[in-house]
Amino acid sequence: MIERLLEVARRRADGGADALWRRVERTSVAFEWGRLKAAGATEEAGANLRVRHRGRVGVAGTTAADVAPDDLVTRALASAELGEEIDLGFPASPPSGSPLPSISTFFDRAAGASLDALIAMGRSLLERLEREGCHVNVAIDRETAQVRVANTSGGAAEYASSGVAVSVDVWRIAGDDVLAVGDSAETADFPGDDVLAALVASVNTRLDRALRIVAPPEGALPVVFTPSGLSPLMLPVTQALSGKAVLQGISPLGGKVGEQAFDVGFSLADDPLRAGRPSSRPIDDECVASRRTALVERGVVRGFIYDLETAARARTQSTGNGERGIFGKPVPGYTNILVGDAVDVGARHALPQALGGGLLASITDGLLVDELIGVGQGNVIGGAFSHPVALAYRVERGEITGRVKDAAVAGNAYELWNRVGAFGNDARWAGSRWASSVLFEGVSVARR
Amino acid sequence: MIDRLAAALKRSRADYTEIRVERTWSTAVTYRGRRLESATASEDQGGFVRVLHAGRGWGVASFTSLDQLESMVARAGELSRAVSVDPPIRLADVAPQRADAALDLDGDVRGVALADKKRLIEAYNGAMLGVSDRIVDTLAIYRDEVSEYWYVNSQGAALHELRPELTLSGTAVARRDGTIEKGLESVGLRRGWKSAQDHESGFRAAAERAVALLDAPMVRGGTYPVILDPELAGVFIHEAFGHLSEADFVYENPQAREMMTLGRRFGKPVLNVGDNGAAPGLRGTLPFDDEGTPTQDTALIREGILVGRLHSRETAAAMGERPSGNARALSFRHAPIVRMTNTYIGNGKGTFDDLIRDVTLGVYACGAFGGQTMLENFSFTAAYGRMIRDGHVAELVKDVVLAGNLFQTLDRIDHIAGDFRWNQMGGGCGKAGQSPLPVTEGAPHVRIEEALVGGDVPA
Repeated sequence: MIERLLEVARRRADGGADALWRRVERTSVAFEWGRLKAAGATEEAGANLRVRHRGRVGVAGTTAADVAPDDLVTRALASAELGEEIDLGFPASPPSGSPLPSISTFFDRAAGASLDALIAMGRSLLERLEREGCHVNVAIDRETAQVRVANTSGGAAEYASSGVAVSVDVWRIAGDDVLAVGDSAETADFPGDDVLAALVASVNTRLDRALRIVAPPEGALPVVFTPSGLSPLMLPVTQALSGKAVLQGISPLGGKVGEQAFDVGFSLADDPLRAGRPSSRPIDDECVASRRTALVERGVVRGFIYDLETAARARTQSTGNGERGIFGKPVPGYTNILVGDAVDVGARHALPQALGGGLLASITDGLLVDELIGVGQGNVIGGAFSHPVALAYRVERGEITGRVKDAAVAGNAYELWNRVGAFGNDARWAGSRWASSVLFEGVSVARR
Repeated sequence: MIDRLAAALKRSRADYTEIRVERTWSTAVTYRGRRLESATASEDQGGFVRVLHAGRGWGVASFTSLDQLESMVARAGELSRAVSVDPPIRLADVAPQRADAALDLDGDVRGVALADKKRLIEAYNGAMLGVSDRIVDTLAIYRDEVSEYWYVNSQGAALHELRPELTLSGTAVARRDGTIEKGLESVGLRRGWKSAQDHESGFRAAAERAVALLDAPMVRGGTYPVILDPELAGVFIHEAFGHLSEADFVYENPQAREMMTLGRRFGKPVLNVGDNGAAPGLRGTLPFDDEGTPTQDTALIREGILVGRLHSRETAAAMGERPSGNARALSFRHAPIVRMTNTYIGNGKGTFDDLIRDVTLGVYACGAFGGQTMLENFSFTAAYGRMIRDGHVAELVKDVVLAGNLFQTLDRIDHIAGDFRWNQMGGGCGKAGQSPLPVTEGAPHVRIEEALVGGDVPA
């Protein structure tokens, strides 16, 4: 379909065009409160077209299967008429003769898994998570996708991908105390027993330690953030490392390339070529071949992520981070985010280490934070955060003594990443981020 | 279309089948700083089928190509049969509705040129940029939509609707050295082009606030008497209480049912809370929900006592209560789940001054950057705050984040003023991966005797 679109666009737009076509099929099963309640199927396809005409760029998208190529091109040209002039070129990627980076994105075992296999996986998780007085939810989504990207400069590529996402949460309501502990695993292949065992162990460990409620501490204290608890510290940094934020002049890291902006222990990279990860891909949504991009190395800012348009405006090269839905225009987006040294990044999920990744021993009185409420709201890129705890534990004399409620944690991400206490030994995937637990000293903890 | 859907229904062998089809035209124009970032017109279409065989689970299917309608009805049937559920899923009775309801399009946005929409949002964006050279970045978004909607089910419902939607939003970012602050303006209505006019002053005020916050200190963390302005009070009731009143949280969980027993006292007699999907012209307003149930005004808390909850047909049947018209789906890509519509705290008596007169040291929390609930615990972020000192509104403070426990906080609401208004903000609510669903909140000024305010804590 996009070949016909590009053919029409080539005739009508003087500055070329590019397009993406994506078809997604998804099968999902949902267990609610311990019972299988629903099974679902999704089939979706759509195309996104971008044109450049008289120096101006416009986009149009559709999910209508019967759309006439001329109509979509007309809409994209109307969008371009209002658009800003951008010196945007479309890459003839991959350069003829050189193959795309080798990365397996499609796994027969995942793509071919039957509905019964998904249901059986859910039941096995339920059995392993069931406990007195608790309710378990399990959701499993299996997805396959075909993506085709092409442009009028001769760039064209196609790949298929598969992915399975498993999420579980266990609820315990006792009087007016509501406790929810959850985790998820996303893999490109059908998840093996090791993945499911790690998921179960992760939930059970955190639930066991949460049953006892203790009073929260207060003051400027040592706080360990678990790999998933790190979100309020990661979001400002990843937003600030987007080339788009830099161009807008709102990134506190803009203009700091080459500078020591963080603790020497802090490194950050985007890597679309991680084996077995559902965010991995050989090429981005704008025909730019995938590659690893170092953003922070040993505390020194090395660069930012770009798509074609932000790269053109910043007079640099796209880092292959073009991300494109059916309707909007492409934007720079992360694939797999690697935090820390990231030397032993696993494709698989290892059984979790003890909670806290070995960082609790030195703490006389502090907090272990697994989840905060309201992360991502407010003035994120500024770095300041203040959130009540959703799941956090008090640590006294090196040991977890119980779960705390009615406490809030506050700080500034940039400041905290400048004085890292220590990284833990429990690195794992939390969504598309690979990170270990991290200890910071002197984090604000308020209680009611 | 209705005939085509009815024919597909007839071929389903399931005990219950419903089909939704949507065709949505939307345009969006985005300014970032002085740049027009994009101006696009999109067309999205697709269908959703949900099927139930007796004693089995839900089989659902969504698709973008209507050519697949018949095959997806069959597929949903197979999926339903693959799932056995005990006790079986039942649906509460709703009289099958047949209606052709076009909401007031208020100046059909489909007849307005993209260039005119661009000029409008360019002017609002300019109003923010013109405030000060401290405004280093802006984001101004115009978005409109008209959705044509068809719904049929095997019990005889047949609905055809036209649903308009309009959102205008502005973010102004002010910066001085390392300090970055922002101000927000947001308008969201089930209206059209006419209601998009005359919003400059709101955009300008957002930019002025961002600049003013550069000089404001961070609020000092601790517990205070807190007065919520109507906007934040609305977000508060949505986050802190609204989600708990959604029956899908309680209906299969005995402990949760006990926690949310009707008749339980949740607050002082001044507190009245409800959800009204039938209030005219608001973002959460629709004539019917996505199961074909008429929307209504549902009382949730009356004089401090829990009196109702929000239902789908499934949760209502499971709890022996009546469907309330709250089964909503974000789009044809999703199944309907229990959601809020326009949620409100009912009007009280007196004025804002009556609320602060006897406050020695407190916080006046205004506007909302957002909120999140983890059931009994919630957090909401005010856009800005002012200290209250000796009965008077005093200096501007920033980073006002309120954290609390639902039961304690609702019970600590001791004064509600008589100045109710609906928020008409854009944005929306997220639940189970369906976001942003258009909702609105409304409230008067509300006083909480004591609440935890996160902020700077001295070491």
